[in-house]
Amino acid sequence: MTGHMPHGHEPGHYELRVEGHLDDHWVEWFEHLELTRASDGTTALRGPVADQAALHSLLNKVRDLGMVLISVRMIGPSAGSVGDH
Amino acid sequence: MAMSMLATKFHVPAPRRHALARPRLVDPLLSDSREDRKLTLICAPAGFGKTTLLSQWVRRVRVADPGVRVAWLSLDAGDNDPARFLNHLVAGMHGVDAGIGSGAKALLDATQAAAAEPVLVALINDVAQAGAAFIVVLDDYHAVEARPVHDAVAFLLDHSPPQLHLAMASRSDPPLPLSRLRGRDQMTELRAADLRFSAQEAGAFLNECMGLSLSAEHISALEARTEGWAAGLQLAALSLRGHADVPGFIDAFTGSNRFILDYLVEEVLQRQPDHVRSFLMRTAILDRLSGPLCDAVTAQGGSSAVLNHLERANLFVVPLDDRRQWYRYHHLFAEVLRARASHEEPELQKPLHRRASEWYQHHDLLEDALKHALAARDVERAGALLEAVLPAIRRSRHDATLRGWLSALPDHIVRGNPVLSVFYAWLMLTSGDLDAVEERLQDAERGLAEASRDGERTRNLPGGLKAESEEFRALPVTIAVYRAALAQAAGDVTGTAAHARRALELCGPGDHLSRAAAAGFLGLAAWARGDLDTAVPTFAEVAPNLHGAGNIADELASTMVLADMWMARGSLTEARRLLEQALTAADSAGIASGPPTADLHVGISALYCESGAPAAARAHLESGITLGEAASLPENLYRRFVVMARLQYLSGDPGRALELLEEAERRYLRGFFPDVRPIPAMKARIWIGQGALREASDWARARRLSAGDELTYLREFEHLTLARLLIAEQEADPNGSLGGAFDLLERLLQAAQASGRGGSVNEILVLKAKAYQVQGRVGLALEALEQALIRTEAEGHVRLFLDEGAPMIALLHKAAAERICPSFVSHLLHAANTGETVPATPRGTDGMPVQLSERELQVLRLLDSSLSGPEVARQLFVSLNTLRTHTRHIFEKLQVNSRAEAVRRAREHGVL
Repeated sequence: MTGHMPHGHEPGHYELRVEGHLDDHWVEWFEHLELTRASDGTTALRGPVADQAALHSLLNKVRDLGMVLISVRMIGPSAGSVGDH
Repeated sequence: MAMSMLATKFHVPAPRRHALARPRLVDPLLSDSREDRKLTLICAPAGFGKTTLLSQWVRRVRVADPGVRVAWLSLDAGDNDPARFLNHLVAGMHGVDAGIGSGAKALLDATQAAAAEPVLVALINDVAQAGAAFIVVLDDYHAVEARPVHDAVAFLLDHSPPQLHLAMASRSDPPLPLSRLRGRDQMTELRAADLRFSAQEAGAFLNECMGLSLSAEHISALEARTEGWAAGLQLAALSLRGHADVPGFIDAFTGSNRFILDYLVEEVLQRQPDHVRSFLMRTAILDRLSGPLCDAVTAQGGSSAVLNHLERANLFVVPLDDRRQWYRYHHLFAEVLRARASHEEPELQKPLHRRASEWYQHHDLLEDALKHALAARDVERAGALLEAVLPAIRRSRHDATLRGWLSALPDHIVRGNPVLSVFYAWLMLTSGDLDAVEERLQDAERGLAEASRDGERTRNLPGGLKAESEEFRALPVTIAVYRAALAQAAGDVTGTAAHARRALELCGPGDHLSRAAAAGFLGLAAWARGDLDTAVPTFAEVAPNLHGAGNIADELASTMVLADMWMARGSLTEARRLLEQALTAADSAGIASGPPTADLHVGISALYCESGAPAAARAHLESGITLGEAASLPENLYRRFVVMARLQYLSGDPGRALELLEEAERRYLRGFFPDVRPIPAMKARIWIGQGALREASDWARARRLSAGDELTYLREFEHLTLARLLIAEQEADPNGSLGGAFDLLERLLQAAQASGRGGSVNEILVLKAKAYQVQGRVGLALEALEQALIRTEAEGHVRLFLDEGAPMIALLHKAAAERICPSFVSHLLHAANTGETVPATPRGTDGMPVQLSERELQVLRLLDSSLSGPEVARQLFVSLNTLRTHTRHIFEKLQVNSRAEAVRRAREHGVL
């Protein structure tokens, strides 16, 4: 990488955390993000997101299901380099 | 069928049977005076009971005020197309009050790409005039993401009369000027915290509405677990109905960490018989449900009965009409069902969508068919469906919708389909991406060649679809028209004419739009060449064909161009007749408040300026300006500044005129029209009239103009300006020469005569007369003048002569003495004396009385007061410099040196 693209115009790995334990059937709905239920009663949705527009469309899905969104964060710059679990 | 589907969009939902009356929320909404509040906003996540609350409020408002009108729009993703949204809004409002929206509808029907503002203004005016309170409910406003739609709603809020009230429900804050509305206390707002059920409301809902008999403890446990979320409480109530072990259910539910929706929907689904459960899962893909549609999708009978059962059991279906034909699932419930279905029965999803698509296709609801074909990844059929539906969507001008469909189709489908390829080219053309157009046109031609090789004469599309073969047959014409447009944009006049001619050869008599376009390009190309003898009859074909195609707004706009051509031919009267006729037509088509009505007024104003009728010119200019910029086409906006400049010049304020021309330059958009009267040359003419010859010759140098230039029509206006400059230089320095002006004028005259440019011929004759007069060759001057007078008498082209200032006035006096065209000459001299004459005319030669312009008289009246110079300038809305120019002219004309002297002298002359 010689230059830096402006933030958000390249794919990135994101984690969305919502309240409650989601059932497995949401995996397809959330474009095959990985779904991890935490002991604190929250669910993390992790995976690659194409760009900001795709991220916003995910956020709209969360909104449209009345889920309580706790956090959104970028956990890795691009596909294939997911770090922590 | 399509109509009844549209009606479901406007259906005011009946308050739900088992809904809880919520006086603590509805009462304040009722008591808030709607006159002061422009907006009621209910903003909360899905499932909080927004729609239910709105419908309860609407019912109470109607009870309190039976005269109130309520238009209810359930918005969806399709409303992101501004044209579609406007159509829905107008149809919804017109539907509840036939007195509202006719004008707006006419504007939408008449305009190619309707600007939102005139449509909204027409609606607003209707509501204000009708006088009755009008509530517009926009439900599911979060479905709207397109900026133009938000802008339209913001405009409506900004300009809403006291009678109009907007109410909207949304899952997220709409990007509207909410803080301003809050600050001015013009908005009532309910949010999630307000909508949350209190323990007491939860109890009333569960026990009274849903018929349970829960203890206070259980109620409070449920209220805590659901956090007062209406959808959660409702699902819990459904799960509890007939549940044997109420405490067990509540313990398990409150003790679970599962996402509340998952938990409760599963509970509800488990309690359904198998056939209902599978019905729910398999029909979840549908936005709307009817018995027959569900029968087709599930490939089973009895769907109507299931739907009735679901409604009676309160299982999240919402009726969309009073006859219980159409329903939809509650949005939230549908989303959970869809997610589960695509997880549990993934292999079923495509067949379900395909069956839905086929059902919609057989019921002629092609857009719905298209949507499901795309979801079924059935791209071949989707392409065919788009081709079939294209003519109808194009007619209704839902361009954004079409753009969406096209981008949803894979590229190879678009490229392999000639109709879609040509349409894609059109989209590229209108969005200015010209480089991409030709490639798409070639794709289309390849497809056409294959089709004709296969001997395919009628258009049979896959899936038994028949597209409007008209569209297909017209493709070669359409391709030629688009190529003409491309050539035009590239400035290739020969290419434009060649492609336009090809289009005309190919198209049938009934193909109005292509005929109009081809005639338009040919006419404009002839105009750009200066061949008015060809341009006028060719371009005259445009308006009748646009009329035939039902495109009234463009018909009227094309009349503007035709009037300009008649003006170039030298006929003010025909130009004015056309514009006045267009104005009447705009009126009777009901689009008197939309484009291009303002432009027509401005055009008429310009013509009145030329015939020396400044009062009429001002009146029309004012009408045009009052209608607002929205009633103008963008490429015509600069014209109003040109006319304002002209009027300022005529009333003796050349400084202001120059400023206005600069404003016009900033607004100038060339569009498709040749720039036959460049604004910088108009400025040079003002400088010349003022004697500012240095500025004028700087302009001529910058434009590399010389008397020996080769002549083209597009430079004619500049060359005529140059001739004026050369004459003015001779006038200023009697020892100078005319620098080739006569030769230039002679050559211009021959060119103009050869191409039917009567207007230019008149102007050249006047300039020749002036040049001879300046040289003292009176006989030749009168000869040229006489020709000009004879040619223009019937047209009454007054300014053609009076613009030339003192030498021309002197010559006209001589013509009067010689009895040349006596009545027109005396008319001209009368106009010179009474009308607003050219400023900076050297004072009364030939013993003429002192002539002050109207503007100078205004200044003089203010000088006869105790106001200071800056105060006078402010009063006249001019700069101090401009005021000084006026004052200097007044002093010169009155031959005085001070303000007091000027006032005294003016009194002596009876001017004050």
